[in-house]
Amino acid sequence: MHRSRNLLILAALSAAALASAPRLMGQGANPTIGAAAPAFTLVDTYGNEHSLADFRGDWVVLEWLNYGCPYVKKHYNSGNMQGLQEAYGAKGVKWLAIVSSAPGKQGYYEPAAMNEMNEKMGQKSLAVLLDPEGTVGRMYNAQTTPQMVIIDPEGMLLYNGAIDDKPSSRPESLEGAHNYLSAGLDEAMAGQPVSVPTTKPYGCSVKYPG
Amino acid sequence: MRFPTFLLIFCLFGPSRLLAQESTLDDPSPHSQALLISETESIRPGEPFTVGLHLRLDPGWHSYWRNPGDSGEATSITWRLPDGFRAAEIQWPVPETIPFPPLVSYGYFDEVLLLVEITPPSGLAPGDAAVLEGRADWLVCIEDCFPAEAELELALPVRDASPQLDPLHVRLFETARARLPASGSEWASFARANERFLGLRIDPPDEIGPMFEADTKSLWFFASDGDVIDHAAEQRPDWDGETLVIRLARSGFARGTPDTLRGVLATRGASAGQTGLAVEIAAPVIIAGSTDDPAAAQMAEADGAPSSGDGRSGLGLSLLFAFLGGILLNLMPCVFPVLSLKVLGFAEHADAESGAAARQGAAFAAGVLVSFWVLGALLLLMRAAGEGVGWGFQLQSPLFVGSMAVLFFLLGLALLGAFEIGLSLTRLGGLDPASARSGSSGLGRSFLSGVLATVVATPCTAPFMGAALGWAILQPPLETMVVFTALGAGMALPYVVLSLSPGLIGRLPAPGRWMETLKQLLAFPLFATVVWLAWVFGLQTGVDGLTGLLIALLLVGLLVWTMHWRRGIGRRGGAKVTSGLAAVALAALAAVALLRASRLSPAGEAVAAANSSSNLASDSDSVDWADWSPRAESEIRDAGRPLLVDFTAAWCLSCQVNERLVLSTAEVGQAFAEHGVALLKADWTRRDPEITRALAELGRNSVPVYALYPAGEGDPVLLPSVLTKEIVLEALETHVPIVSR
Repeated sequence: MHRSRNLLILAALSAAALASAPRLMGQGANPTIGAAAPAFTLVDTYGNEHSLADFRGDWVVLEWLNYGCPYVKKHYNSGNMQGLQEAYGAKGVKWLAIVSSAPGKQGYYEPAAMNEMNEKMGQKSLAVLLDPEGTVGRMYNAQTTPQMVIIDPEGMLLYNGAIDDKPSSRPESLEGAHNYLSAGLDEAMAGQPVSVPTTKPYGCSVKYPG
Repeated sequence: MRFPTFLLIFCLFGPSRLLAQESTLDDPSPHSQALLISETESIRPGEPFTVGLHLRLDPGWHSYWRNPGDSGEATSITWRLPDGFRAAEIQWPVPETIPFPPLVSYGYFDEVLLLVEITPPSGLAPGDAAVLEGRADWLVCIEDCFPAEAELELALPVRDASPQLDPLHVRLFETARARLPASGSEWASFARANERFLGLRIDPPDEIGPMFEADTKSLWFFASDGDVIDHAAEQRPDWDGETLVIRLARSGFARGTPDTLRGVLATRGASAGQTGLAVEIAAPVIIAGSTDDPAAAQMAEADGAPSSGDGRSGLGLSLLFAFLGGILLNLMPCVFPVLSLKVLGFAEHADAESGAAARQGAAFAAGVLVSFWVLGALLLLMRAAGEGVGWGFQLQSPLFVGSMAVLFFLLGLALLGAFEIGLSLTRLGGLDPASARSGSSGLGRSFLSGVLATVVATPCTAPFMGAALGWAILQPPLETMVVFTALGAGMALPYVVLSLSPGLIGRLPAPGRWMETLKQLLAFPLFATVVWLAWVFGLQTGVDGLTGLLIALLLVGLLVWTMHWRRGIGRRGGAKVTSGLAAVALAALAAVALLRASRLSPAGEAVAAANSSSNLASDSDSVDWADWSPRAESEIRDAGRPLLVDFTAAWCLSCQVNERLVLSTAEVGQAFAEHGVALLKADWTRRDPEITRALAELGRNSVPVYALYPAGEGDPVLLPSVLTKEIVLEALETHVPIVSR
């Protein structure tokens, strides 16, 4: 009897611990490739809400963005990233750029300033989403900018990792680079399995608050 | 700033000779400077020499190691060397961990000298100067990063004389060499991989072990490749005897498991460029539970069974163990009396024609096999229906347990000679020569006795059968049935062999009075079985249920007596009818009592309480078992405590024996306390889908199973089904070392 009461208390405590766990351990959790992509809702630079669930039925790309990062600059100054955004946007892919920089850190802009930056850089994504607390970044184990994610129309995570296989900020490294994102998207949209479902992302650290 | 003062002064007021020779670059390199320097003043044809890329960083800024960690980029040199010159890989000093939660980078602050060995061609003409050129690329970060680059150029005179060390650089190169990790490639090491972790185990040489041990807490393993381990995860270095164990969480970006885990193991002192110890490690990676996994091999040896913790044991082994398990079933207390009688039947008719015996043997084997097929099919059907069942599931039904108790009671009474009807079931038709010769009915009885033997065998899961059945239940239906067939074949084998060998039958003692005595004695193992089944029934249904079963047994006793009496009264019509009606009524009443009793359930948590208190009555102080639940298990494991889960059931005899003779003894209890092992008991006496699922995850489908989880996140070790104190104590020593704090 005594033991079972202790057990009850233990159970209650563990329930409380479990309830608070997600907040405590926002890090290190890895979203599973082939499983449902973590759900999120974020506000874009125009104040519109976007939920991942809204895009059920569409292919979705997530791009972690920090305009101050030299590796991101490589892809934007060369027009590489905008080219991908435009090409896959035309195929109906919903491309969401996510900024997980904390206020005051590199890559963070107030919405109006961010719109100016987007204009200047020729941003071609569907929306630039603001994640100043880094919540969604942590959910997807976003470590670097750029980092790319592919989600299928059923909401399953198909790819998480680097944009290509040349971890360098030098513009000439784009030449001959194998682009994991476009390779994965082309395979997946043709009904094939994604042959390289994850790679170690490269670039600047995501500027999380802390 | 650990930049040597003399060098700083030198840089400010250095002689122009050096500035001419070693060119640094303008400012494509913010917050940092790079310089290519040589260890020697001159070089000699064909003789390797060492140069260094000297990176100096503004305070607070850092550059990166060969694996930059979660972000960043390793420094690289693109050489443009004169013809015939070869440059080796960069030799990297031990880096520091640079945390930016939730990320971690590996790199260097202040300054670092990256050494590169260059081999000039032997045909080089002395007198000239060799000019080494190249470009260095590095990333310099504080939190924000700047790519930096530098054009490198270094002219070195070629002389046909032993090169002299450049006094200006001696100390820099010395310091850099001291920061290189030593080679640990000779050290015995391996890493055990499961889905989430790489358990790195290293046996340092005797003279080095204590140095690491004194600084265990500060040890860090820097993986050479970026997509192998989670750089930010805790590593919890600890000692298992002389072996250093480091638990590395696998990277979320890993694709597949590497063959070799490479990296640098360093004390904090070494990685901060002070006194400390650092070694290069190259550990072969072993998939946990695979055949080349020493831990799995060890367990398989101890268990005498295939290690099925990961469901990898093959069909061949499972068949073998099912077959052996079947043979062993014959020796179980519930089966032995029944089979003994059949052997006695042979003894009595050793002179009968051998063909008849062989036919009886075949019929018996058919009975056993068909029963096992029915059992297997039943298991498959229930599995297909999504029910959480496993071997022994029959005994999770109180009605089945109660019926078995009545059956064993009847068999016992029959052996005592109280009645004759049921007894013929157990005969080979041999006790009755008429039926032996009459063919079909005798064969039918042999078939039925095979069925009976199988039914009475079900409570006695032989120790060998756990692994085989656990494997079988997770297989496609055909393979499940094949394993059940092997089990039945094993059980029928001894009897069939006997029936086919007239020579063996001839060796049995001549029939006589001893047979009657033996028969009566054999009743008592059966009554003991009744006591045990009644206890199980009581745990399942409570005191009222147990009383109901006892009333049913009482009525059955009265029924048997009535039948016996009725036979004795001859042809007295009225009494015959009355007693016949009474017998029918008694049978009906007994059935009702049993049915009603088996629907009862114990009040509240009586099952758990009764089971644990009775199991632990001998020593409740030192052994404190809590009830298992998935949550209780994850609670304990998340807290990093070692854990033993005892998967048990009241109807499992070997479970009870292990608990009484081993797990609940003072000695073992004390060991549990010393090793800080948390104890959970998963009671499978009644059906429990969660326990069935937990067993399936361990690759088992029967009890007992003893799963010992080491502290931290390692895989469980399965102890053998037959425990001794030594086995448990040794397992604790091996897998749950006492942590001295």
